[in-house]
Amino acid sequence: MNSSGSAGGGWRLPRHELAILAATVAVFVATGWLDPNHTYFANWAESRDIILRNTSLLGIIALGASVVIIAGGIDLSAGSMVAFSATTCALVLTLCAAPDDRRLVTVGPAGIAAAVGAAMLSGLLVGTLHTWLITAIRLPPFVATLATLVGLRSFARAMCLFVTKERWGSESQQINVNTPFFAWLKEHNVWIMTATFLALAIVTWLILSRTVLGRHLYALGGNEQAARLSGIRTDNVKWFAYCYGSLTAALAGIFLMADSSVAQPGNLARGYELNAIAAAVVGGCSLQGGVGTVPGTVLGALFLRLVIDAVSKLIKASADVYEGMIVGIIVALAVTLTQVGRRGQASRSFFSGARGVAAIPTIAIFAALLATMAAANVPALQGRIGLFGGVVGGITLIALAAIRLLEGRRAS
Amino acid sequence: MSVAPMTPGRLHVVLSMMAAIMLAGCSSERKPASPAAGTAAEKPAAAAAVKPRRFIFITNGDDPFWDALLSGLKDGEQRFGCAAAGITVARDVNNGSAEGQIERLRQYATQDDVAGIAISVIQADNQSIVEEMKKLRAKGVKLITVDGDVNRDTFRDARSYYIGTDNVVGGRTLGTATRALLEARGAKEGGYVQFAGFTDNDNARSRMNGVKETIGPAYMERDRMADEMDLPRARDNVRNATQNHKDLAALVGIWAYNAPAIADVVTESGTRDKYVIATFDAQDLAIGHMEKGRIDVMVVQNPFEMGVRTVRLLKAMVDDDKPVLDEMFPNAAGADGDVHTTGLRVVVPDSASPVKADLFDPQVVEYMTLPDFKAWLAKYNLTSS
Amino acid sequence: MTAIVAFRGVGKTFPGVVALDGVSFDLTPGECHALCGENGAGKSTLMKLLSGVIGDYVGEILVRGEPVRFRGTREAEAAGIAIIHQELNLVEQLSAAANIFLGRERRTAVGLLDDAAMEREAAKLLAELECPVDPRTPAGSLRVGDQQLLEIAKAVSLASDVLIMDEPTSALTDAEVARLDRVIARLRARGVTILYISHKMDEVFRLADRITVLRDGRVVTTVDRSATTPREVTGWMVGRDIAGHEFHGARSPGPTVLEIRDLTLPWPDHPRGYRLKDVSFELRAGEIVGVAGLMGAGRTELLETIFGATEPIWTGEILLDGRSVRFSHPAEACAAGIAMVTEDRKRLGLFPDLDVAANVSLCSLSEAVRGGLLSRSREEALVAAPLRETGVKTPGPHAAITGLSGGNQQKCIIGRWLLVKPRVLLLDDPTRGIDVGAKAELYALIDRLCREGLAVILTSSELPELLALADRILVLSEGRLTGEFPRATATEQKIMEAATGATNHARS
Repeated sequence: MNSSGSAGGGWRLPRHELAILAATVAVFVATGWLDPNHTYFANWAESRDIILRNTSLLGIIALGASVVIIAGGIDLSAGSMVAFSATTCALVLTLCAAPDDRRLVTVGPAGIAAAVGAAMLSGLLVGTLHTWLITAIRLPPFVATLATLVGLRSFARAMCLFVTKERWGSESQQINVNTPFFAWLKEHNVWIMTATFLALAIVTWLILSRTVLGRHLYALGGNEQAARLSGIRTDNVKWFAYCYGSLTAALAGIFLMADSSVAQPGNLARGYELNAIAAAVVGGCSLQGGVGTVPGTVLGALFLRLVIDAVSKLIKASADVYEGMIVGIIVALAVTLTQVGRRGQASRSFFSGARGVAAIPTIAIFAALLATMAAANVPALQGRIGLFGGVVGGITLIALAAIRLLEGRRAS
Repeated sequence: MSVAPMTPGRLHVVLSMMAAIMLAGCSSERKPASPAAGTAAEKPAAAAAVKPRRFIFITNGDDPFWDALLSGLKDGEQRFGCAAAGITVARDVNNGSAEGQIERLRQYATQDDVAGIAISVIQADNQSIVEEMKKLRAKGVKLITVDGDVNRDTFRDARSYYIGTDNVVGGRTLGTATRALLEARGAKEGGYVQFAGFTDNDNARSRMNGVKETIGPAYMERDRMADEMDLPRARDNVRNATQNHKDLAALVGIWAYNAPAIADVVTESGTRDKYVIATFDAQDLAIGHMEKGRIDVMVVQNPFEMGVRTVRLLKAMVDDDKPVLDEMFPNAAGADGDVHTTGLRVVVPDSASPVKADLFDPQVVEYMTLPDFKAWLAKYNLTSS
Repeated sequence: MTAIVAFRGVGKTFPGVVALDGVSFDLTPGECHALCGENGAGKSTLMKLLSGVIGDYVGEILVRGEPVRFRGTREAEAAGIAIIHQELNLVEQLSAAANIFLGRERRTAVGLLDDAAMEREAAKLLAELECPVDPRTPAGSLRVGDQQLLEIAKAVSLASDVLIMDEPTSALTDAEVARLDRVIARLRARGVTILYISHKMDEVFRLADRITVLRDGRVVTTVDRSATTPREVTGWMVGRDIAGHEFHGARSPGPTVLEIRDLTLPWPDHPRGYRLKDVSFELRAGEIVGVAGLMGAGRTELLETIFGATEPIWTGEILLDGRSVRFSHPAEACAAGIAMVTEDRKRLGLFPDLDVAANVSLCSLSEAVRGGLLSRSREEALVAAPLRETGVKTPGPHAAITGLSGGNQQKCIIGRWLLVKPRVLLLDDPTRGIDVGAKAELYALIDRLCREGLAVILTSSELPELLALADRILVLSEGRLTGEFPRATATEQKIMEAATGATNHARS
């Protein structure tokens, strides 16, 4: 039941983590083999850099998200927090640079330290704001962080316009950051980010499984009322959780700003919060709170980014169109399978009752449409794409109906 | 751990198999993309001998403009014998952010079959995009910019060539036309607002500055409004502009989707008569609006032609085809020698428009009425330009 | 006469645990059949099989002579079998009527909800059950006893002829219990067969025709009520003779530890205006003060106020060792040496995702820290003592807490609080839902702790428990202290009179 969620567990990789690891390896091998370029095998070093960089970026945010989720909350604002932190950092750089330096190359070490410090401080402030909204105003975490999800980004844009207008005399919606330090950070960002991510993972793991605070986080997420009645200062524990969530996003914001050498509050890191939550959930965190591990989250982030990367390796044109679909299916599958394992419901029926019957043609229709679109790219099928889609849909229908019959027989 | 009947073995086998099957599905979808698409004249045998390669076109967003350009790419793919050389042309749609373009450039750097990349750069001054472009060039990938260039003063060496509209000239053309329309209405003074996705994107900035240059000092620029390529917001910007500035006389749409956004809002509020509406590009929606008299003038780029020439240029670069390169860039050594401009058109509803052909340099700008323009679109099976 | 329900060699195994093993017995139509057994004896599992919650077992169940295997409660309901769970299954936000008709809502001719018809029928059903609540009241705002009748009304409206009641009186006042008895009698008069699960002997012997005793998943015996005695049944349940819970030998209370003066806890937006009013008493070291009272009398509120778990809006004075204290958070009370075992174990006490050791060590984790980090070995050593002292039966310190029986879970929670070495222990109905054997062990534990000098305040809904354990018994009625009796003179009669406000024994 509480195999992967047990806080008391020492260093062990339970089944859930092993399953993600196995799936990761499977995706890796399958992609390397199916990709006509065999990029993963032939050109590993560059692929590795991309995957490490992206996994680290997502993972840093996902670690924060998992702490919040384990504590029984949710932080929807991570993507906006990334943009907010990047903007704060760039604006402090703007103020520390020479007045006419729009490329921010003239910032000294003190200015850089101030900018990084301000960015991290912005995380602390937002985390504190979340905690206040949740504990004092009693907003549900979903609502509080939804408010900052939309609010922070807008705030960052306004700040950007204000500061650039004041400093340069003309408004700018984005700030190019060509400061040598951040250029250096970008140059070495694969290793710096990976090291940061791993260090942060170890710290988070230590906090969660080896400190009193960590135990209190699990207790808070598992049963908030009982935690309070056990003398735990639950509001303080929440404060830590939301600050941790915002601080990791703020850290990611600095890296992302350095990596894209621009702070663009309008578009930077849009939707990252959902990827981070997905990574945590694939990694075994329960949105009900109280359950989740750091190794799981790390592997969840790796798996998610590898799948995204695999899609762009395998689909040679317009990969972005198919990316969301494939990632969505993979996330749903991963969580379904782990839940089947965890709850001991392997024998549960998937197609029982009227809903089950309705699901069969639904899935078949999707399969048929997908096959039709895929067939349009296959010359051998030209002129018969409708037929091909129909056949695939029909086969799906028959196969699912057969599963339904088997389930019915087993159950009776 | 002890409760579950599903063993660890079974679980991860299932998960891995599912993942493998899905990925297999993706890849089989793409495999046969090579020779058969070519014309009958080319020999499949020749294609079989060469390794399949790709030209990638990276857009900076999602818009019908790119669909017209894609039609040009496909046309060019056939016209310049790509199939015989084992080359396919693929489009990759960026999500509207700088990091999206950086990510895509990095991704292609790992893939050996990418022979050429054309990119519409989202931020002219972005160091990171430029660096990734340079890395690709260092690997031997042919790289050009199309439609949106890097900052040519500082990053000229990030790409070999630029194909596109001269956006400053485009802006000046629109400014000239707008001024003619305003003067014809007897508006001695007034304000105007320019709308674009990003006000500090290079192409938007060039066009806006061009407009400001030629519209004349009598008319005041009240604002430049950015919608970040969010369509509802593009409409809201127009609503806010018309409410905030009471002296507005002209609304200028800088990016393709701004045209229908302006026309929609003005129609909805019944204030069409108050404004001169001047826009860039010709989305099918915008064409419909002009037919109904809701847009006064469009300065139209030729994305179809950009697409055709993109393929021609990349193919010539891959083949090191000197005559073609010389033809496209006759004074390669000159200051603007790395820029190849595709033509601009001024489209007006009919010949009664105050915007007359003699306002423009016929060498640079082609003057067309809407019916002529639609006939041209029909010829190439296009719906927008 | 054929049995209406018959179990034939029914068995069910969970990984590592045999929950049921060859269970066979019959229910005769129209009888009230009591099923007794300690927690963990297999009663609940058996009920889950009969009501279709679990469909995967060996052996067979016959209903009216036909073998059945329900796949879900709906199929069981269709066969006329309804179950009233100990933890009620109501949608708190929906009205009483909506709950009764949930899933089979009455509709008007055009397919819209016919609330009027449902409310009419609900009112009729509830009136028959002596439950005069407005059917439009949200279920969540009804008293527990009324909520239970709501579930019974639902079963009645389903025309069920077999009604399973799982410890129905565990949260009822005596008046409500009497009402339930009448409802049961009325149902039986209609020919409804009742399977009554309980471990309260007085109820079993008051209501049942026959009694089946389960122990460790097996049937010990099925007997007619007239052929046995409560003591004998209890003996079968625990497998041994239970000694009466009398703790002889007077305790010798020490100095006053806690003093409550004129404690008043306001209750805004309520006609009464207060939850507690002018409550005063004192508690001495080595003394157990029992607090009696009906549901809603303010027992839990009194303990929570002392513990700092309510909003600090109370007036009056709480003196700990003569110093006035005012806790605004349980953490402060803990630090001052006050511990509280909460009433609703699952909702307020247990951490289902944490293992046994983590559940026990939670309040004193800092003692298991070495070099800033939690030490696993230190934690194990830390919890070993309380686990042993309270007699928790667990496969190991890292077993899942959810795998333990209710009694063992409760011992873990008491162990958690013993670790903080409190001077005052507040126990809010600590034996609720715990089987007989575990109760006796808990009583002995509480008595021992008290003799070691701990000051204890104990509330309970079972008067014999207070009479057995407490040195003095305070009685609360509607937030006021209406009686105080030393053990020597306290009787159930006197306490009930004070609790129901029949006579006023309040101190002057």
